[in-house]
Amino acid sequence: MRDLKHLLKYDDMLQEANNELVQQAKKDGKRALGYTCYFMPEVLLDLPGCFSVRLRAPRSTSPDMATYYMSNRTCMYGRCLLERAMEGGFNFLDAQMATETCTVTCRFQEHLQMMDVIKNPDFFCEFTDVPFKKNENSIEHFETQLQAHVLDPLKERFGIDTSDEAILKAIEEHNELCRIIKEIGEYRKKENPVLTGYEFQLIMLVSLCCPKYLIIPMLKETLEDLKTRKPDEKNPYRVRVVLAGSENDDPDFTKLIEDCGALVVADRHCYGSLPGREEIEVREGETPLRAVARHYLEYNECCRFMEQHSMRQRKDYIAKLVDEYKADGIIVESMKFCEYWSYERTIDTLIFPRDYNIPTCSIEKEYVNNAVGQLRTRFQAFIESIEIKKINASKEEEVV
Amino acid sequence: MKKFNLRGFLDQFSAVQIGKKVVRDANDGTIHNKRMDMRNDIQERRENRDWNKVWNDFLYGKPHEERRLGDLYLGNTGLYKHREWRGVKDTFYYFHMIWMYNYVHMVMDILKGDEPLTFFKGVWRYRWMGQTYLSVMHWFDRGMEGLRGEALKASAWHYRGMVSETIRQFMRMFSADKKLHMGEENQYWKKTIAHDETVSGNIFYGWRDRFDDVALQMIPYFVSCHVNNKTVLNYIDAMQSIGLPADPCPMCQAESGIFVLDDYPDYSPVMVTSNEACDGSVATSIITDWFLDRPLFAMPQPMRFDDPLNHKHCMEEIEQCWKFIEKETGEPFNWEEFKKHAEAQNELTEFEREKWDVAANTPYYPINGVAQALYRIYYSQDGDRPIWHEVDSHVKKILNKCVENKIETFPKTRHRAIAWSCAPLYYSNWCTWAYNCWGINTIINMDSLMFDKTIRTDTYEHALDDLARYNELAPMRSMAVGGHEHIFQLWDYMEKFNCDMVIMYDQLQCKGMQGIKGMFEDEFRKRNIHAIWVPHALPDKRTVSRKEIRSIINDYMTTVMGEEPLDPTLVDFDDDASW
Amino acid sequence: MKKFLGKLLLIAGIGYVVLFLVFYFDLDGKFLYYVWEPNAVARYDKMKRKDNTLTPYTDKANVMPDSEVKERTVG
Repeated sequence: MRDLKHLLKYDDMLQEANNELVQQAKKDGKRALGYTCYFMPEVLLDLPGCFSVRLRAPRSTSPDMATYYMSNRTCMYGRCLLERAMEGGFNFLDAQMATETCTVTCRFQEHLQMMDVIKNPDFFCEFTDVPFKKNENSIEHFETQLQAHVLDPLKERFGIDTSDEAILKAIEEHNELCRIIKEIGEYRKKENPVLTGYEFQLIMLVSLCCPKYLIIPMLKETLEDLKTRKPDEKNPYRVRVVLAGSENDDPDFTKLIEDCGALVVADRHCYGSLPGREEIEVREGETPLRAVARHYLEYNECCRFMEQHSMRQRKDYIAKLVDEYKADGIIVESMKFCEYWSYERTIDTLIFPRDYNIPTCSIEKEYVNNAVGQLRTRFQAFIESIEIKKINASKEEEVV
Repeated sequence: MKKFNLRGFLDQFSAVQIGKKVVRDANDGTIHNKRMDMRNDIQERRENRDWNKVWNDFLYGKPHEERRLGDLYLGNTGLYKHREWRGVKDTFYYFHMIWMYNYVHMVMDILKGDEPLTFFKGVWRYRWMGQTYLSVMHWFDRGMEGLRGEALKASAWHYRGMVSETIRQFMRMFSADKKLHMGEENQYWKKTIAHDETVSGNIFYGWRDRFDDVALQMIPYFVSCHVNNKTVLNYIDAMQSIGLPADPCPMCQAESGIFVLDDYPDYSPVMVTSNEACDGSVATSIITDWFLDRPLFAMPQPMRFDDPLNHKHCMEEIEQCWKFIEKETGEPFNWEEFKKHAEAQNELTEFEREKWDVAANTPYYPINGVAQALYRIYYSQDGDRPIWHEVDSHVKKILNKCVENKIETFPKTRHRAIAWSCAPLYYSNWCTWAYNCWGINTIINMDSLMFDKTIRTDTYEHALDDLARYNELAPMRSMAVGGHEHIFQLWDYMEKFNCDMVIMYDQLQCKGMQGIKGMFEDEFRKRNIHAIWVPHALPDKRTVSRKEIRSIINDYMTTVMGEEPLDPTLVDFDDDASW
Repeated sequence: MKKFLGKLLLIAGIGYVVLFLVFYFDLDGKFLYYVWEPNAVARYDKMKRKDNTLTPYTDKANVMPDSEVKERTVG
């Protein structure tokens, strides 16, 4: 396939948190607001006058200083972010809109609060409490929290317009982005897609890490380009997989899977689009903030949700993705030291092959992925096992 | 009548001991006949012996520095060649009022259960029961080594309370257990509410007149780790055998492993879980939901609990839990019953504060570190029960006596320590050792300071308000999550309890504590505080053994503090194979 | 009667001494450690256990739908 428009630029921009679009937006006088978790509604951080940046620590190696503060027994994502902050890589941030949704990212953000890490006199870090359920009580609680810990501080400190009109405008822009990403993502459903999982992840990541008003025009062009892109005559991939799991902002990891012969057709992980790029609907009689609070709880498939039916529905969700995207299997990954996904992955590994008849490959990875050789072997073996199953199934069909 | 000759008797006793040594030497084949030397030795000892001191040691026990408690251990088993001679009064107090009293009461408590015979079925069926329960007296022994007088009495009462409540709980579980009743859902099964050990019993006060509430993991996991640390390893391994990595919190692993090994009693039609205190607890709730496969209500508490806006949410979650119980049991919440137990619980909290006051401001506090920590966490988690009041009334008398008569209960205290973060469950009695060996007296610990809330009972709204706050201040969560300011309350408590040393538990698999380790290091240096980091893996002794824990403290005390041990025999010994 | 009481006292006395010896020499601990525990462990290790990972993971209804929590329980 020919190169996709802007793809190299996207790749370049993902090498730095403070990329050229972020710098451009800062020059435009906008406030940069960092966040780590999908539970923090990015739409509220994209109100007129500010923009959201989902934090990553690309090109990390050994987070030595952060390891002193957070020990080597915590998730490397949190440590790499702290290391990057200490190196000065996040000095462009005007605020960190924090959530205590998983322990280690919480501790990372507390370090931003306690230590004078971010060299920006305006910088502050504010925590939002996030509920564990999707019921009315939780939505109400979340709404109150977002008002008190996101909108109010933005208004008080930076004079951001947080009126309903402003939120509606942000929702509109957000929905436009979601439509574009969704349309791009739909190409993955085709039998011989014109888009790889790696390319899609680059697109998804820039949509999270760059100011929306600057990235949307580029994404539109990429989408246009996709419409005329032709797939390779022979599909180079042997199987199609859904990639599910914890934090994953590393396109090279997806590339590794694809290099082994498995096309990643759906991304159900913390930095993925399923869920993540659904349009926000403001229902009748609902304030825009309420709609945002409801949306970010209802659509969320995080394994932090504790209700009995939610725990089980999220398995169905992944199974539906397998069906919808015509995947042959699931790769479930969890970041080492991630408590939530260690358990979720264990259950997934047992449940999907047994109850849903979906082949599942279960792996643990690090943020700085050095175990490429081992992972490649695992993926190759998984792909071969799926192929053998397919061959056996076709033989059985022939016999019948 | 022939007059008893004490001197002759003691001489004979010495001769026997020395004679034994000769036999051993002869068997070794290394030294042959040393009889003459021995005779001379005996003669010399007789002449040099201060018989008044021998008599005093017999009557009152040896002075701390001469006890040589480490010599009492039998190899690496943790068993004793003989139990410690604490002087006539304390030895016989231990024999009568602790050893015999508790064995007798263990039997009586079982007989008091709804179906006493199920005890045997339980022993037969459950590993955590059969392998653990009977060795409970050794748990007393370990916790009370070296204690004398009022400290021995008060600490033993705390243990007694915990044993009694443990028996009550497992007897209720066994009476209701479908697995012990051929799958029958009997009246007890229908009238018992199961909940996570991190959900406080006070949530269920409104049904205590008709139902009993029993924490599912409290006895199979939490208590069993303390009594016999070998049992729990099976559950941790079981969870890893189904694919869980080894790094999540081992407490959550063990709690989940009980289900994997099918070693949980099936004693209730419903289950209430919680997110207390961390990500791992949420995950345990998910595993519990899968394996229990019955109506389960998750009752999460907000993480940023200082935020007043969160309080309403927390209260509503509790109310929804009540609604769930009403729906599942068909029985309404009884406000009067709730009130009764909440008020009784307040009495316990009130006395706890009195205890803290004495511990903080005097050297007369008669409860040792391990009894203080375990009792506090047990009763405040379990909620109001008659045994806690009984124990408190005994302890109150002892406490008053100590204060009135100015009895220094831990006279060899060199350092007043505060223990912070969560303790190694397989070695919660390390503080008994630390006092005996180094004079480090653990005055208070982090888990004791949680649940510090009186529940108002004048109105329903007040009660709910306070109950929510009580649960927000639950163990491990109160100070470990919801903002760094909680964990750094250490400095205030250090001052309040007049401590000069911090024992910093370093739970290697607790992400919350590991994630803030460097900040503590910085603060300790800045404040010039003596802090000993004690690495451990909560219930899993294989990660950091007890011997390693002791060696870390030993190193600090010799190299940094430059101190000599009070009892050198306790510095280095092997107890790897002990309970 | 006196003889009986004497015997009773003697038996009680012997019992008391035996118990004290059991206590003092930690014979209860030794019995449990060397005899009871190895046998108990052997039994639990050999026990046939249900494979709970076979528990079905089917959908469950919401135990507390919003429609049921509108009204306060008490108040």
